[in-house]
Amino acid sequence: MILAIARKEFLDAWRDGRFRIAAAVVLVLLGVALLLAWQQVQRTRAEHNAAAALERENWLNQGEKNSHSAGHYGVYVFKPLAPLAVFDRGLEPFVGTTVFLEAHRQNQAAFLPAQDATAMRRFGELTAATGLQLLVPLLIVLLTFGALAGERERGTLRQVLSLGVRPRDLVLGKALGLGAALAVLLLPAAGCGALALAQLPGGDAGGGWIRLAWMGAAYALYLAAILAVCLAVSAIASTARAALAILLVCWAANAVLAPRLASDFAQRLLPTPKLVDFETAMNKAVQEGLDGHNPRNDRLQAFAQATLKKHGKTRIEELPFNFNGLVMLESERMANEVFDHHFGKLWDHLEAQDRTVTWTGLIAPLLGLRSASMALAGTDFTHHRHFSVAAEQHRRDFVRVLNEDMMNTPAADGHHGGVAGRALWEKLPAFRYDPPPPAHALRAATPGLLVLFLWAAGAWTALLLVAPRLKPN
Amino acid sequence: MLETLKLTKRFHSRVAVNQLSLSIKPGEVFALLGPNGAGKTTTINLLLGFLTPDEGETRVNGASVTADPIAARRHIAYIPEQVMLYPRFTGVENLDYFSTLGGRRHTREELLQLLKKAGLPAEAADRRVGTYSKGMRQKVGIALALATEAKALLLDEPTSGLDPAASHEFSLLLRKLAGQGVAILMATHDLFRAREDATRIGILLDGKLAGDYATNDIKHVDLEKLYLKHLRA
Repeated sequence: MILAIARKEFLDAWRDGRFRIAAAVVLVLLGVALLLAWQQVQRTRAEHNAAAALERENWLNQGEKNSHSAGHYGVYVFKPLAPLAVFDRGLEPFVGTTVFLEAHRQNQAAFLPAQDATAMRRFGELTAATGLQLLVPLLIVLLTFGALAGERERGTLRQVLSLGVRPRDLVLGKALGLGAALAVLLLPAAGCGALALAQLPGGDAGGGWIRLAWMGAAYALYLAAILAVCLAVSAIASTARAALAILLVCWAANAVLAPRLASDFAQRLLPTPKLVDFETAMNKAVQEGLDGHNPRNDRLQAFAQATLKKHGKTRIEELPFNFNGLVMLESERMANEVFDHHFGKLWDHLEAQDRTVTWTGLIAPLLGLRSASMALAGTDFTHHRHFSVAAEQHRRDFVRVLNEDMMNTPAADGHHGGVAGRALWEKLPAFRYDPPPPAHALRAATPGLLVLFLWAAGAWTALLLVAPRLKPN
Repeated sequence: MLETLKLTKRFHSRVAVNQLSLSIKPGEVFALLGPNGAGKTTTINLLLGFLTPDEGETRVNGASVTADPIAARRHIAYIPEQVMLYPRFTGVENLDYFSTLGGRRHTREELLQLLKKAGLPAEAADRRVGTYSKGMRQKVGIALALATEAKALLLDEPTSGLDPAASHEFSLLLRKLAGQGVAILMATHDLFRAREDATRIGILLDGKLAGDYATNDIKHVDLEKLYLKHLRA
């Protein structure tokens, strides 16, 4: 019975020219979005690779100088674009792609792609993710608003129910058939997506295929929830027109209003500190200690006394190494504690904001989906943080090698150590970033997936509760 | 067998069906006459289980509609004033779908045969029903009653809007079904068709059965007089 209903619904949908046209438009948009994103990922990767190679050349050919100067010469490192950015660019356009690594400072990523964009960006960017998040639900609305309300208006619902069909079977059959019609549309799109990922060099980096499978599950939960909500509204609405009006309002609330309101709510609940305040507080902590009562000079003087005592000397000049190098190492260590504390706090704060937005997804499922989708695509804030930590670790290793060289090099200028050259620069490896494993992505996506699961379970429960009350007239 | 036992249905303070007791045996065609608002369609809705009675009971082939409407509907075929079909499907596809929902699977050949029996032109069977006339849709409804082998047939103004030839064809089909032992309840305004097709005629006024006559006992002219007399009473 359910299968017969599903088969009829599937055929009816596909024989409906309006659905075929709408489906073709959505399919073309998804395909174009995928193709453009694939090209963009390829282009960005090529640009980053070229820039990274040039940067390496510059580093190696910077000429001879003391290692401390080389620390200030610094290097740029580039954030590789996640392969699944082909589907969901997430926060990529709004967080930096390049970090300048230098002595004494932990810099934030700079050069946001959004800075280079035109004012049109405010209207959003067409990606496969936005297509699936916004357009496909609209297609579901158009496909389902009349599924039950329209049949009631036409009189076929009365005819069907008079045959002894259980309303629950009817609703499930319709859901199955309409879901199959959507699947016919989405499976080729998913196939194109998989092909795009397969064609991308390093597509499986960070467990690309596992992430893709989970993304598929997240989108399936989202679309299943939307389908159930639409059918439930169609079941209780008095007319098809009323069902359409209600569903369009719901769509707009979910797609347009909720993201804006949720982000404002999160900002009000957990205001982002101003950049200038953040940097002032951090610089102050570098100078005065994390507790604000331990000036840096006092700490370094105490460190000098402790070092002299340790080596049984009374004067700095008597030490068997360049004490300035050791001071650099120690001051880096002290500064790093401050950076870890302040950046850690800032990042925790931003992640808490994101979590707040995700949980408001209990009101609008799109928010849960966006969070899960970005996390699984590797384009959310946790992935950006992972990259920032890796870049900072590289900076610390790089500064440490330079400072150790300075420490072990006689102080020709009496201060910054001897002159170093290419041999030292080559000791410092180029930055290599390994994206986090799928477990990291899954952890980050868990609240979003949970929100989606609750939505899907709630929507289907509501549909099954509404079904027995299905009125024939 | 179709039965209603002291059936009562109220909508707020208005009594739509009042203590209605009917018994339609297999092979009987019971025409329920009455003006608009007399309670004919409400009675059909109660027999279909689309409405729950406030008092009394309805039974179809012995199964209580109130207790298990889904099971009771398995014995019923229902033909409304306008048989509504799926316009993007052909006649045979519609019949296939509805008869499957009614619990009977048929081969394509059987379905074509059923449509032919119901009087649908052969060339129309594979045409989308969006192009069908009302009479053709009613024939698909009859074919469905044949396909589901229903024990009871409920008709709500089935010949309204049909031309005389189509109406006559429809009557012949009804008689054929009655001949096969189907209990038929037909709500109608059409005194002529009631007298022609029914074995019994009931006159429903304000939800109450005001008269119950065997058609053999009354002529066409008498029926009209009888009906008007009840209306004026």
